[in-house]
Amino acid sequence: MITVDKLTKRFANLTAVSSVSFALEPGELVGFVGPNGAGKSTLLKMLSTFLYPTSGRITIDGIDASKDPLEVRRRIGYLAGDTPLYPEMRADRFLAFLGKAHGLRGRALEERLRWVIDACGLEDALRKRIKECSTGFRKRIGLAGALVHDPKVIILDEPTHGLDPLQVVAFRDLLGRLKPGRTIILSSHIISEVAHISDRLLIIHEGVLLADGSLEELAAREGLPHDDLEGLFLKLVKGRGQEAVKAAHAG
Amino acid sequence: MPDSAATVPGRRTGFIDGVRVIFARETGAYFDSAIAYVYAAVFLLLAHAIFMNGFFLESVLDLGEYFRVLPFLLALFIPAVTMRSWAEERSQGTFELLMTLPLRSFAVVLGKYFASLGFYLAVLAGSFPLVLMLLFLGKPDLGLIAASFAGAVLLGALFLAIGIFISGLTREQIVAFVLSTFACALLVLSGEVKVVEVLDGLTPSWQVGTWLYETVSVLPHYESFCRGVITLGDTAYFAITSAFFLAMNEITLKLARY
Repeated sequence: MITVDKLTKRFANLTAVSSVSFALEPGELVGFVGPNGAGKSTLLKMLSTFLYPTSGRITIDGIDASKDPLEVRRRIGYLAGDTPLYPEMRADRFLAFLGKAHGLRGRALEERLRWVIDACGLEDALRKRIKECSTGFRKRIGLAGALVHDPKVIILDEPTHGLDPLQVVAFRDLLGRLKPGRTIILSSHIISEVAHISDRLLIIHEGVLLADGSLEELAAREGLPHDDLEGLFLKLVKGRGQEAVKAAHAG
Repeated sequence: MPDSAATVPGRRTGFIDGVRVIFARETGAYFDSAIAYVYAAVFLLLAHAIFMNGFFLESVLDLGEYFRVLPFLLALFIPAVTMRSWAEERSQGTFELLMTLPLRSFAVVLGKYFASLGFYLAVLAGSFPLVLMLLFLGKPDLGLIAASFAGAVLLGALFLAIGIFISGLTREQIVAFVLSTFACALLVLSGEVKVVEVLDGLTPSWQVGTWLYETVSVLPHYESFCRGVITLGDTAYFAITSAFFLAMNEITLKLARY
């Protein structure tokens, strides 16, 4: 579903993402984990086609993102980290706007709106202006916006940030329901937020992909119990990670 | 069921559909904003007050004074309308949302532009009571008034394109306002006779004032309309310069994503 080949992004003297490659299949839920400033958001912004890569290639559902970004965007549901919304708009109008921008009209639009409103628990917020909604509701409106066109690929940057524990549980449940047939990417700087719901973890540090595998695989590789999440993260980032980063940036 | 089967929406959003979707959202945002009504009220109040003052002093049945003052007012009013266009998208993060929708970036630019044009036309329509008043009082030259309104529409359309382009260069609305006002004021003031004379006096060998009047200013083109003369050249000037700034807007939006 997603193929990323030697993807690099440079801003002036800073290499935010350095020659990252991976492939993701439908039905996979993947967690991007790394400390703040690791390059996760930059990588997701490139996957969403918002940022142009400096070099490398992204293919989504067989479509080269640099050649046909519009067709790629039709297949992607993307929620940026800061949950961008129009605060003056009513939640229902905002979702309808996104649905129409994705080419949905009439009954198809109504059905999709009904589904995302139900799935994200938005009934109480629908008639409110977004600026009048709580942080949790805003996050759910953003998530509903990313799902309104029934995308094949769902990219969520720090999706649980600002949600209370009950909302986090509901969110994980929703992802579990969405997983079949879709590729889901979550990012977080806290490994415990994504480790247990992800099939695969991609650990990123200073723009370099340090590790790729399931929690169990990564823990076994590092000789740690698979419930020592923080230990695993620190070992990957501080230990071998520093050498890998140096090598990647030197190369 | 949507839970288990991802699909791609039935049809790709066409260019015109994209313009329409953005136009509808932006128009809603304009007419849903209290501050936009304040700008419109202040603009109309000033324009009408200046017209009525001249009208009572000269007792002439035309809107000449209104259209003479209009470019100066628009140089202030239009930047206030356009300053939020892109700067607000950037400051609240929705720029990323817009640029990841399956819409061509030029469709987004045009949607925003036509929405601002619609708002401007609605405000300009607030001047129609003046025409009705003249019709009530006598027989004004309706052809001249129609040509002048056409000039006002084209002048506003150009200023809107400039304002939206400049708004795309910054995330600060106030910076967008100041720069757009400066740009629009330059285009207007460079056509003022007194400014031209002063500049020519300061640079006698270069004749900077005359050069600015002939090459930069919008007033020679706008004033043709106000004399009741609609030429292809003047119309093309407004159309081409507006299109240029809209195209520049799209280019700068793309550059911002590198």
